[in-house]
Amino acid sequence: MADNISQGGWTGTILRVNLTRGTIKREPLNMQDAHDYVGARGLGTKMYCDEVDPKVNPLSPKNKLIFMTGPLTGTFATSGGRYEVVSKAPLTGTIGAANSGGHFGPELKFAGYDGIIFEGKAKEPVYLYINDDVVELRSAKKYWGKSVPVTTDKMQEDLGKEFRIATIAPTGERGVLFATIMNEKNRAAGRGGMGAVMGSKNLKAIAVHGTGDIKVARPEKFLKEVTKARKMLMEHPVCGEGLAAFGTEILVNIVNEVGGLPVNNARDGSSFDKANNISGEMLAETYLVKNQGCFGCSMACGRVTKVPQGIFEGKGEGPEYEAGWSFGAACGVDDIAAVLKANWLCNEYGMDPITLGSTIACAYELYEMGAIPEADVPFPFAFGDAEGMVKLAEMTAKGKGFGNTLALGSYRMAEKYGHPELSMSVKKQEMPAYDGRAIQGIGLEYATSNRGGCHVRGYMISPEVLGLPFKMDPLVTEGKASTLKLFQDLTALCDSTGICLFSTFGIGLPEIAGQYREAVGSDESDEEILLKGERVWNLEKKFNMAAGVEKDTLPPRLLREELPSGPAKGKVNELQTMLAEYYAERGWSKDGEPTKAKLKALSLDGYKL
Amino acid sequence: MKVKFFATYRAIAGCESFDAPAPCTMLELLQYCSKKWPKFRDLLLDKSGRQLGPDLIIMVNGRHIQHLDGINTKLTDEDVVAITPQMAGG
Repeated sequence: MADNISQGGWTGTILRVNLTRGTIKREPLNMQDAHDYVGARGLGTKMYCDEVDPKVNPLSPKNKLIFMTGPLTGTFATSGGRYEVVSKAPLTGTIGAANSGGHFGPELKFAGYDGIIFEGKAKEPVYLYINDDVVELRSAKKYWGKSVPVTTDKMQEDLGKEFRIATIAPTGERGVLFATIMNEKNRAAGRGGMGAVMGSKNLKAIAVHGTGDIKVARPEKFLKEVTKARKMLMEHPVCGEGLAAFGTEILVNIVNEVGGLPVNNARDGSSFDKANNISGEMLAETYLVKNQGCFGCSMACGRVTKVPQGIFEGKGEGPEYEAGWSFGAACGVDDIAAVLKANWLCNEYGMDPITLGSTIACAYELYEMGAIPEADVPFPFAFGDAEGMVKLAEMTAKGKGFGNTLALGSYRMAEKYGHPELSMSVKKQEMPAYDGRAIQGIGLEYATSNRGGCHVRGYMISPEVLGLPFKMDPLVTEGKASTLKLFQDLTALCDSTGICLFSTFGIGLPEIAGQYREAVGSDESDEEILLKGERVWNLEKKFNMAAGVEKDTLPPRLLREELPSGPAKGKVNELQTMLAEYYAERGWSKDGEPTKAKLKALSLDGYKL
Repeated sequence: MKVKFFATYRAIAGCESFDAPAPCTMLELLQYCSKKWPKFRDLLLDKSGRQLGPDLIIMVNGRHIQHLDGINTKLTDEDVVAITPQMAGG
């Protein structure tokens, strides 16, 4: 069958870089796998699973690190600027797939490569230089130890402004478990610690410049599909106006309104009386300079921000809503300048702001209850201490003192002090900015996400809070399992094509499948294409099972401690009810394992991990 | 009754919130707002002036009115209403 599959949307070439031996090979893209797993997240995961033992130590040379684009990456498709970094995640031990935007992914394809497989470990710090046909491993000694913006600026000074740079910061070099990979300074492959994997290989950066183009299979039909989808986005109130005006931070007030904004490590409920001070509206009134977009994106949700004076003086990008919460309500902080400062530190030093903010919040609670000895802390902690929060973020960034404990993430830190139950994490990854007690379906998403606590595997906030594409009651469990399964499968498909998940606020399966179909030259139905998303989900699950990842659950706080106030007063997350329905919807066993029949339906039955 | 506005609706109202007269229904409140701020006229209600506009979220005490009695939801002086254009993020 592979012989009949067109290479539409692809360059057809994968780079294999063996860092131990210093060799670089060009290999043909496996078109059958590209057909079956779409690209980016899906195809990257298949390539990874084919080659790596699920029990591998994520930070050992035996682990591999894959940068993978999708068939729509770098095309005219709606927001087609995404790529995926796939490896086993050191924070969670799960499959790690971290998605990033900007221009790096398209540039890689313009240079003639769909993806890069890194294996082994370099003897000394190196970076991969890609300038169309010229691909070389070069010494990165002069960049090692430098922050993201310093590395990026120096490399562009050395190589040319036209190069797109994806780099790690010293956090990745040191193996901080939530270190990110940053491209073009402020776009992050953010969750799970992909930066630590890169650092463990002595791989500092990738610099890429390309001048080629990408051919789609049926250009006229493709353009027609893109035009239709773009029109829908432009006319949509969120994608056409809201995200550009206020960014994702706009959610703070509305999520707080439903009583779903966790306060003080979720200890003190989910109604933050100072929420407006850290809201998107407040940001627009105070420190917003302008908005900014990624490759091919009409939504332009990025925030360019600046604090002109004071102790939090600085400039940078962000925050997103999640960081606004993690450094805000999660820490009891309502100073938006402090939130900005902490977020910029995350960009500059390559740290996941959801994990870092939530870890600081956990430390605040542990300290307040007396679980952290005075000798361990640099100064007394207290919820609401904005300056302390920024100092702790800086200590983590620079590997100083207690910052090295925070660098473990909240679970390992809380475990060290005897209270792992106070880590607001699932599978050791911190949950984002929505309380699963007030919003039941997002709790189910956290519990079942294949990469640990995560909102962007199946964004249930859309139906439960925002009414997109339909409204569901956040306080009930009915219908959540089937909706979440659909969202997870569609998200896996979207991520795998190379377009931005945010486009799904305004377009759906018909538009995603339509663009994909014409790009790759497929005649499959929407349903057949969606099935590929389900195949990706089940492959990720199989990997996690083979890796020995713990069962699907939530922190005890969400299951047992009733919300003390707000619209969801008295609620806990009713996970067990939803979980049983979810496994049934997935066609899995009662223990949450894909059945033989399900694997056969997805053509995964013969696949051994 | 406290009525809060979010996002672009704050610029239309020129305030973050205001005290509205109660008791009333949600329809009456939206008609009141449309009269007080004419720019709301085509946003909060449809052309008939009797049904909700297409792209907004309205909550009463944190509950979306779709889970209450919709545009007929009865409001008292103790209620807190939040009105916002359709939004998303994450």
